[in-house]
Amino acid sequence: MKIIVFASFLVVLGVFIFATQVPVDITPDKVSAAVSEAISLSEVPVDEEVMEQAVKNAITILEKGQRTRLKYLAAAYIVIWLVFMLYVLRLGQQQQQLDQRLAQLEQTSVTVTSNQ
Amino acid sequence: MGNLSTKIVGVITAILIFISLYLIFGYARTESTMLEVQKIFYYHVSAALTLYLAFGVNCLFSIKYLIQRKSDDDLLAAAAAEIGLIFCTIVLLSGPIWAKYAWNTWWNWEPRLTSTLVLWLMYIGYFILRSALEADKRKLYSAVLGVIAFVDVPIVHFATKFWKSEAHPERGAKFDIAPSMLHTFLVALVACILLFTLLLIARYRMKKTEARYEIIQQRHLGEAS
Repeated sequence: MKIIVFASFLVVLGVFIFATQVPVDITPDKVSAAVSEAISLSEVPVDEEVMEQAVKNAITILEKGQRTRLKYLAAAYIVIWLVFMLYVLRLGQQQQQLDQRLAQLEQTSVTVTSNQ
Repeated sequence: MGNLSTKIVGVITAILIFISLYLIFGYARTESTMLEVQKIFYYHVSAALTLYLAFGVNCLFSIKYLIQRKSDDDLLAAAAAEIGLIFCTIVLLSGPIWAKYAWNTWWNWEPRLTSTLVLWLMYIGYFILRSALEADKRKLYSAVLGVIAFVDVPIVHFATKFWKSEAHPERGAKFDIAPSMLHTFLVALVACILLFTLLLIARYRMKKTEARYEIIQQRHLGEAS
């Protein structure tokens, strides 16, 4: 039982790490290079610094939004896992208690029979 | 169902859960409005459909008990209700997390939410009733309550149609669902149904052992006195 709980915890942890990882492959260097390229292609004059800042701000907003959404997603799956695990643990405990009670009952019946 | 077949169902269930998690996070297309949060849908809706099945099994075996008065039917009905309640709890807990993002509130008294909460409370009542009564009355009264409580299941399902809810999509509404999303949902649904079956078998066996223990104990007490 403990192995199952531990294994499922690892699965949920894996899902959590996987789900909360923001796939950020847009580095500041890449932003600068892309902005410079876009400006060089542009036919109208553009302030490179202003443009770069605007793009960085947009990326920050997008990343923040994604982080928030992933938190909700991870929370929902953790709740689902928790409910199932608590239930399975409770079942395990009940089964253990039942086994103990049955063993006690068997012992009592053996004692009664031997006394008779 | 024998031990070997139960183990096979267990292994298949575990594999399907792993596959469904992979599909949810690695294969299914991200929906364009709610983006990543929509991925809650796969287990939220699957759990909701599985709870219909669980309470359906409860109702079916409650009726069977009322007709044939076999204790096994009562035990199976109680086991199904217990697992249905677990799935209902999952729906009621995962729903508000989704709602907080989608509607900016954890809860609103929308028809489907309210009727699902009523359903959950009715089955809580079912277990309070079972724990409060003696064995013979318990079986009869809980079977009757099991049949009555099931009436709320179609109400939950058709709530959006009856009361024109804007929050949940109306039943039968056309969804623009990508094939990758549909495949993922179906795998998650089968995983949930198999998990229900597995838990039902385990709980039913436990309840049967408990019932046998009570009989033996009563016999011992009778002999002792």
